[in-house]
This record gives sequence, C-alpha cells and structure tokens, in this order.
Amino acid sequence: MSNVLRPYLAAVRSTLTAALTLENFSSQVGSCTSEYALITKSKGSKEVLLNPLIISRNENERVLIEPSINSIRLSIRIKQADEIERILCHKFTRFMMQRAESFIVLRRKPVQGYDISFLITNTHSETMLKHKIVDFIIQFMEEVDKEISEMKLSLNARARTVAESYLTAIST
Amino acid sequence: MILLESHNVIIQTTLGEKIAKPSSLDVSFVDYDGVRFHLSTPERKTLLLLSMHTRCWDQLVQYGALDVLKREYGSLLKPSSEPEYNVSLEIDLEQIPSGAEERDAFILSIALFKRNALAAPFELAFNTQKQLEASGSGQGELMEIHYRDEEAIYVQASADRVTAIFSTVFADETDRIYGKVFLQEFVDARRQPAIQNAPQVLYSNRDPPLEIRHLALRNSEDIGYVTFVLFPRHFSNPSVQHATISHIQLFRDYLHYHIKCSKAYMHSRMRHRVAEFQKVLNRAKQEVATGEKKTVTGRTMVSR
Amino acid sequence: MSQLAPVICDNGTGYSKVGFAGNSDPSFVFPTAIATRGSGHQSSRAPTIPSKPGHLASKRGVEDLDFFIGDEALANAKTPGYSVHYPIRHGMIDNWDHMERYWEQTIFKYLRAEPEDHYFLLTEPPLNPPENREQTAEIFFESFNIKGLYIAVQAVLALAASWTSNRVTDRTLTGTVIDSGDGVTHVIPCAEGYVIGSAIKHIPIAGRDITQFVLNLLRERGETAGVPPEDQMRIASKVKENYSYVCQDIVKEFRKYDAEPYKHFERYEGEHSVTGRKYGIDVGYERFLAPEIFFNPEIYSSDFLTPLPDIVDDVIQQSPIDVRRGLYKNIVLSGGSTMFQHFGNRLKRDLKQLVDRRLSNSVAASGSAMQSSGVEVDVISHKRQRYAVWFGGSLLASLPEFYTSCHTKAQYDEIGPSICRRYQIFGSAT
Repeated sequence: MSNVLRPYLAAVRSTLTAALTLENFSSQVGSCTSEYALITKSKGSKEVLLNPLIISRNENERVLIEPSINSIRLSIRIKQADEIERILCHKFTRFMMQRAESFIVLRRKPVQGYDISFLITNTHSETMLKHKIVDFIIQFMEEVDKEISEMKLSLNARARTVAESYLTAIST
Repeated sequence: MILLESHNVIIQTTLGEKIAKPSSLDVSFVDYDGVRFHLSTPERKTLLLLSMHTRCWDQLVQYGALDVLKREYGSLLKPSSEPEYNVSLEIDLEQIPSGAEERDAFILSIALFKRNALAAPFELAFNTQKQLEASGSGQGELMEIHYRDEEAIYVQASADRVTAIFSTVFADETDRIYGKVFLQEFVDARRQPAIQNAPQVLYSNRDPPLEIRHLALRNSEDIGYVTFVLFPRHFSNPSVQHATISHIQLFRDYLHYHIKCSKAYMHSRMRHRVAEFQKVLNRAKQEVATGEKKTVTGRTMVSR
Repeated sequence: MSQLAPVICDNGTGYSKVGFAGNSDPSFVFPTAIATRGSGHQSSRAPTIPSKPGHLASKRGVEDLDFFIGDEALANAKTPGYSVHYPIRHGMIDNWDHMERYWEQTIFKYLRAEPEDHYFLLTEPPLNPPENREQTAEIFFESFNIKGLYIAVQAVLALAASWTSNRVTDRTLTGTVIDSGDGVTHVIPCAEGYVIGSAIKHIPIAGRDITQFVLNLLRERGETAGVPPEDQMRIASKVKENYSYVCQDIVKEFRKYDAEPYKHFERYEGEHSVTGRKYGIDVGYERFLAPEIFFNPEIYSSDFLTPLPDIVDDVIQQSPIDVRRGLYKNIVLSGGSTMFQHFGNRLKRDLKQLVDRRLSNSVAASGSAMQSSGVEVDVISHKRQRYAVWFGGSLLASLPEFYTSCHTKAQYDEIGPSICRRYQIFGSAT
C-alpha cells in the first residue's frame, strides 16, 4: 500500500467498522418480513435511515457510506485520471458486477455518481465475519487502483510491441 | 501470432486437398474487408472456379488491378466473371505443376488472390513515383479505394515518396480508446533506433491530412486518419515492394486484430483478479459448525 | 447481397467445426486444443504482467499471443515450452481464458473474417448453465464486437440437419437425437425446439471405445504382431471407419464368415509412419462386432449393460406423454459414431420390437378389449450425419428469420449479457 493512500483507507476502515452495527428490523409496511431500509427508501420510514457520509480523498476518489438500521451501503468512486483509465475502470467494475451473485455483498448496479456499490445487510454481518468483510472492501479499494494502472501500462506496452513489430516488418 | 498472414487459409487448404483428391465442391467464404469468395466445380471435378467479390472492384480496375492479376495468373484469369462476383480464376487440376515445391508455390499464389488485386493501386503509385522522380517534380493522381463502407485508403505518389492514408472509424467506444493508444504508439515507435527506417506514420483525429482535405469527407468526432509516408527505399526492389504492399494493405485488420486481442487479454486479467477478490471475500464466510459438540461424558450439547 | 455469411462455430469436446453458413461442410475441422507457452496451470491462473517499461520488458507484453490452436497445437505439443490444453470438457467450456484465445485465432487466422461484419451462430450442449451463455456473449460482444449472436442447442441443430433427408417432409423440431461423438453418446429428446432436460440419458460408449474394442479383437487374433505399437490405435480407428457395418444377426453373420472366409475377410495394408516399412492385417469379425457394442454392450464393457434401443425407449417413455409419438417417429442420428452402415435400420428394428411388445402386453392386460392403432417408429439417417450439428447451424443461419432471432450488439449494449438467457426458436414449419 502506498503511504499516500493509507490515511484515506484507514478512514474508510474505521468508519465502516463503526457503521457495521446492524440489527434485524421488521418491515413497517409489510408483515413477517424485514426489508432493507436503503432499498425501499422511497416508501418513507425515514427514522430507520442514518446520516450518510462521504469520505473523499480528492474530487475523483471518494467513498459514500449510507448506514441504516439493518443495512449499510458503501459506494466507491474509483480514480480515473484519463479516458483509458475511465474505460478500463468501467470494464472492470462491469465484469465484476456481472458476477455479483458470487460476491454476496456486491450490488449489480452502482449508485449514481459512483462506480461500484456494496450492500451489507444484517444477515451478512450475522453470517459472515464482520472484520473480514471490512478487510475485503479495503483490499478491493487498494487493489483496484493498482490493477487499473497496471492494465493501462500493459495496454501501452502491448501497443508499443504491436506497432514495433508492424513497422519492423516494413522497414528496410 | 503477431503479424497477420496475407494468404487465405481456406483457399490454401482446399486447393491442397482437391489436388490430392479431386471431388465436386461448392463453398463460399470470406476474407478481410468484406471480400467474398466462391470456390466451385461447375463443370467437372478437376476444374475449379474461384470467384471473388470486393466492394471496391471498380476502383481497383481503374488503377490497374486487371493488369496485375493478368501478370500473376496469366491464362487462369477468366475473361468474364461468374455472376454476382467481380473476377474469376479457372484452375485446371490436371495442369498443375507436378513438383512438390512448385505446387506449393502455385497454391500460395492462388491464395494471394485478394492481396494481388488490392496491390494494384500501390504498384501504380510506386511506378508513378519513379517517373515523377525522373522528371523532378509533380504529383500523381490521388487514388481512392473505398474498401469498407465507412473507411477508405487514399494513395498518392509524389516525386520523393508515396503517401498512403487510411481513414479509420471505430464503431465501439472501447475500440476507439484502445485504438488511440495503439495509433499513438505507431506514431512514436519510429523513435526506436532499430526501426528508424520504417515508414513515417502520422495520425490525426478528425482533421484530414492536407492531401485529402479537398475531398468531401464526412466530418465527425469518431473518424481518424493514419498516414504512412513510404520512401523509395520501401519499394526499391520487387521483394521489398511485395512485402511492403502485403503489410500496408492489412494495416486496418492488423490494428483491429490487436485491439481485440488486447480486450481478450484484459478479460483474462480481470478473470484472474476477480477470482482473487473472491478468495478474499470467502475468508469472511464463517465455517459452518462441523458436527455436534459433545461433552466429556458423551452427551450432545445443544445450543438454545 | 451486402450481408456477409454468418459464421457457424461448433466447439465440441474433441473437435471444433467452423465455417460459413450456406456451405454444406465446415471449412475447418480441427481438435479443440490450444498449445500455450509456459507450464499449463500457471499461465492461465496468473497472466503475466510486464514488469518495467522499456524495450525488452515490453516484448513480454504480448506473450499471450504466442500460442497455437487445432492441428498446429498438437504438432507443437512436443516443442519445448509449449503445453497442450483442452478448453472444453464434457461439452462445456472449462477454461475461459483459453477458449477466448482459441476463438480469437479461429476467427483471425483461419476464417479471416472481421468479426464486426458477421453474425455468429454458436452451439451449446444440452443443460448448459445460463451463466456459460452469458460469459460466451460477453466474450463475443465485448472482445470481438460481433454484429449479432445466436446460441443454439446442439441437439436442435441436429434435428434441423435431418430436414435434408428426403424422408423428412414436415421440418419439425420434435424428435429424439442420438448424438455419438468420440467421448460420449447422448440420447436427447426435443419437443418443438426445446430440450426435455429431465429425460436426457448418456451412454458411456462412443467412438473411442469402439476403436479400443477393435484393437482388442485384432490383438486377440494376433493380427497386430507385425504392427508397430504406436500405430495400432490409428489402424484400429481406420479399420473401424472403413470396414465396419451393423449386421442384423450375429450368429448368422459368424456362420457366413466361416463358410466363405475369403469373401468376407478384408485386407488392410499399412505403412510405418517413420520407417516406411509395409505391413498388412486381415480384418474379420470386428467388421460387424465393432458397432455391435451399442446393441450388446456386454461384449465390451462389464459395467454398462443396457443396449442403445432400450435407452432410447426409456428416454421416450420418460418424456411427456403427448410428445412420445413425435419422438418415436423422428429419431435422428448425429455424430461420427452413428455412421456405420445399416445402423439406423438395426436401431429401428430393435426399437420397434420393444414398442410392439409393450403394446401387445397392454392389449392383453386390457383383456383384448382395446386395440392400439400402433406406434410409428422411424430412424432417420442422412448424408450430413457426421457434422450434423454444424450443418444444421449452417442451414438455420441461411434462413431469413435467423437475423431477426439473433441478439444484436445494440441489444446487448442496452440490456447486458443476461439477454442471452433466452433465444427464440425458429425455422420449423409447424
């Protein structure tokens, strides 16, 4: 982990750990069911929502944490310095969200303005190890930047090799 | 496979098989840039008819494609082509060179059908350049080859060089961005000492280069122009000229092939990375309690 | 005709059949094998990452382009540094990295088609999970930008291929498909283009087993004494392909051979692949015994004992009652191991006996009060049996409805890979 990134990740980690105090909460609308307050936000019951907060490193990198009584949604905006990083980031998050089923806490669509969203419900925090979920999110944030810049580097390297091979073939 | 080959593998393999064992045949297939082929035995098993259709045929004829094909194939070239196709070759399997090497060379030359047809404007430009060089100045005709629906090659000879311009359109956003990275490297690659002698490559987005600015071109954001400046050393002798033409005409396909390969490579990287993330998340899953818990005396503990 | 022919790609466990729609044979048939650099498992798990920019390091950026597919892969199997992988297992794609590259080279090196200009028809085995379809669509639309995609079930294509037989008049997509390739034989019932998944049965006897059986027979008779060991398997498969047929009665056939051995025994002449030394073997009873393992599996295997006609009957009996007649009436053969002479006739006869016996039993059980009108049993053999799946694809993709049944790139971009969970059935006359 680069040192510059550390305070940012540390902030996310402690906020997320603190926010992950979820409990079961029966629906106030339907019966015999607990619905996730964040998902059915539009239907009212504002009292179960807590204050959302944004941890931002700069205008391009930020995390939105929306806690509620029984679930917490975390959305990440990943660093995208240029057009290439933007498309690679889009490809990568899409590829991952396509496989959301196996990533239990991952959502299929990000919150608007962000690249990827996770939803941790009280069921998740009960059946899974809470600190390991936090570890996962932090590790994801840490590695996704690295992966995207590596992908960009390798694209450039490939392009160079490809151009060189072509031009070598017709140089005399 | 980094470089694409110029010959058509289907023609090559089918011809090889049919020479070994003639049988009736009727297949159609394609080649890059929307070229269609039809290989059939309309009369008898040993008489193959190979027809080609390309959308820029009229332009190619204008720039001497028939002469090039006549030179390459001689009497094989049929005076009139099969309907729906532009040009046909008639191959009599009974009159094929008998030596193994000559036979392979013959098959290869047939498999280069498309390459030879598309070589005409380049050859014309190279010859024009030689004339212009002798006379000292002037410019050759600007040849347009609309080889795809939205893309074209422009070739022009001048006294000291031949310019080939490809207009490129990317249908897909990702392709456009990848393409830009690739094209930038084509422009920069010549700084490498090893390939100083390669043709100069220029790339411009949206604005057409000077040579073709007077043409009525579609003006849009997604169009780009790649210019190859070929100097006389790139076509000084027949074998160099042959190689140059073969490579230049496959430029677009080469570029697109590599864009697609890069995307495939990215996919395999992403598969790997996603599998890694999966492992990290799996660590969070609690082990399902295995079996029952027993006390020392052997009674089962039940959690309430 | 500005539209270029669709590409038909049938990737099987053993062989891939690829070509263009409208042709009667695939342009390429080669093993579904890929030879990549680096030791097998490591290359697929961790794609290499160029460490530093710079000339030498950047050369390593395209390592993933250094591979061979098909026959070239097998030819390079022994080249140091390469190892061969088979990306498809049991009909399903096992290694997506390899498969994506396999397709990449199929399209660009062999077909020489610009994928952006073509529609593609791919095949899938029965009971393929929808996730696999989605991944396939992801590769074809995102990596290759193809114009449109249709993924068809192999059994349905095999049914479509049988429309060329002059005995088929009504272009139906209801029928039982017996698909026997190299590794495994499937019996698959289809009703109006949909596979009845619950009734599918597999038989662990297919081409490879028949070859082995022929070899066993030849060895027992001592024919292989003069044949170099490395050629024996190849010879056995040649014998199987060129001399075998299905007989109607084994006992009679044995008697015929004993009475006139010179008339029925064939001579196979071979040549050693390296030294060029000539040898010959006599081909005898294995001519009719080889395909007999479908009908009397006990002569070859001790763990699988149900004859093919019984399996087919079981499969049809497990299907819904209202389609059974259609299934009996249209039994279609597909794959190289159904190519034996008279195979269809024998299957039809044995199956007819089973069905008639059941009918007469039920007539007897009803106290002879009810008479059945009988059940029509028919087995369709046709000329395109060997590559029936591919040919069926070629046939369907030449229909004008093909283009409207495909999912296009625009639709994919809008909806995403989940669009490939559904495909419209088309082409049947009913």
